[in-house]
Amino acid sequence: MPGPSRDIPQSAYQAGNPTIRARGVSKRFGEFVAIEKLDLDVRAGECVGLLGPNGAGKSTFIGCLYGVVERSGGELKVFGHDPTMEPRRIKQRLGVVPQENALDEELTVLENMRIYARFEGLPKQAALSRIEELLIHMSLDHKRDATIRTLSGGMKRRLTFVRALLSDPELLILDEPTTGLDPTVRHLLWEKVLSFRQAGKTTLVTTHYMHEAELLCDRIVILNRGSVVGAGAPRELIAREAPGYVGIFAQDREKVLRTHMRAGWDLFYQGRQCCIRAPQIEDLMSLQRASGTQALQIRPCNLEDVYLKLTGRELDDNE
Amino acid sequence: MSEFYISLQLAWHVVVRNWMVYRKDFLANISPTLADPALMMTALGLGLSPFIGQIEGLSYAQYLAPGMVATTALFTAFFECSYGFYVRMTFESVFKAMLTTPIGVREVVIGEFLWVFIRAALMAAGVGLVLAVMGLLANIWSIFIFPFIGGLLAVPCGAIGLLAAAHVRNINQFQSVYSFLIAPIYFLSGVFFPLTDRPILGVLVHLSPFYHGVRLLQMTAWGRGSFGEAAFHVTAIFLFTVVLGLWAFKKIRQRLTI
Repeated sequence: MPGPSRDIPQSAYQAGNPTIRARGVSKRFGEFVAIEKLDLDVRAGECVGLLGPNGAGKSTFIGCLYGVVERSGGELKVFGHDPTMEPRRIKQRLGVVPQENALDEELTVLENMRIYARFEGLPKQAALSRIEELLIHMSLDHKRDATIRTLSGGMKRRLTFVRALLSDPELLILDEPTTGLDPTVRHLLWEKVLSFRQAGKTTLVTTHYMHEAELLCDRIVILNRGSVVGAGAPRELIAREAPGYVGIFAQDREKVLRTHMRAGWDLFYQGRQCCIRAPQIEDLMSLQRASGTQALQIRPCNLEDVYLKLTGRELDDNE
Repeated sequence: MSEFYISLQLAWHVVVRNWMVYRKDFLANISPTLADPALMMTALGLGLSPFIGQIEGLSYAQYLAPGMVATTALFTAFFECSYGFYVRMTFESVFKAMLTTPIGVREVVIGEFLWVFIRAALMAAGVGLVLAVMGLLANIWSIFIFPFIGGLLAVPCGAIGLLAAAHVRNINQFQSVYSFLIAPIYFLSGVFFPLTDRPILGVLVHLSPFYHGVRLLQMTAWGRGSFGEAAFHVTAIFLFTVVLGLWAFKKIRQRLTI
């Protein structure tokens, strides 16, 4: 409903109020709790990664941000506006790459973009030059008049990025932006996302690729069953939650390895391999010597280790 | 700019989007809405008419003619808002992207209504022209009034389509909606036979917007009827539009947001 403007003055807003501010946000579907008392701030210019298993509440939370999901409780402000009350004021400043591209398959690239430029309220001439600029930016200008049906998956995804950027949004929401794409396209899209960050845009990205999150994000928030189970800068999170190194061994060496492990080390499985995490690389070296077993690989701990630990998939046999 | 104006402008963009997609398959899209009434007129109007005496002082073809305009409005609106909307909503995920723009559910629904109003008005004009050429319109000026009535009738019929789209769990269930709701409305609302001697049916038909549209079109085409009756049917269509339109909006909002 239109009402008197509850807008926070722009200057005050940019002086330090977060672009997204969530306090105790919950979403229930009957008995099922999709999001449970979620607190999350995304500051202007920041790139935040939202990680978590399927069904952890990532997409539900994203839907809350522009009003297609109505939260059951809590306080939520995007650009200082409540998405339930004033979705349009938020959507005017927002670009979204949804999980599904949702492009009109029978229309051409240009037609699709022109429709969305209209939705975003761009004047015709400005729209055409903006579309052209973005198509070049995403290396799609040669496909201007191609029907969407004829494009590859990677091209469609790039075009969905073009669509999200039409109105030059301050906040970008990328919901699994690179799922199902080949490494070349993925690298191209990463480069683009990094350039948005450089241009000062605020970005919220969900992904199942830990490498992607580590590469793109200033900060990571890990969700599990609707709650935050870990948050921080990627390096910080690793240092705090899963410090050290992982040695990967053949599974049949488990017994021997176990006898030589020290307190504070973790043993877990990845596929058919047996992994041991120790604080120092030297620990793993001496484990190799003591057990007479050569590790298949020794690597520093990464975000995936943190993720698996925090979302409860790690089998902790160390007790 | 006022909120209302912005909303209307955004709804208009939805109409433009639908038109751009529609024109890609123009022939396929326009065929059923033109071919069906044409075949109906040929088979029943021209074929059967000679065997039937006068109805209310008209040949059967003349009697049938205005009903064809109503039919095209009903089918254009119902199919666009049921199958068409459902496909956009589920298989094409159109709204998942659209609702991230300044467009909201309200604009989506108003856009659908505007879209079927325009389409039905154009179809009504087309069918009206054909009927005029066939010499079946006692009141030739009615071809200028058909588009308005056709468009007005399309909105509540479209609302029924949207309600169906919001309720079905898969696309096959539209068959039941057609068989048990739309087809009876179509066959029993006075398009094919007069309801003057049918007390029960004559009352029941008032419960659908279609009958009121049929009557308005018949009064126009035949050039008979009172101002009072016309005002009654116009009011009825407006009431159906408001009630069904708001109901459809509520249900579609539940489908598109959670």
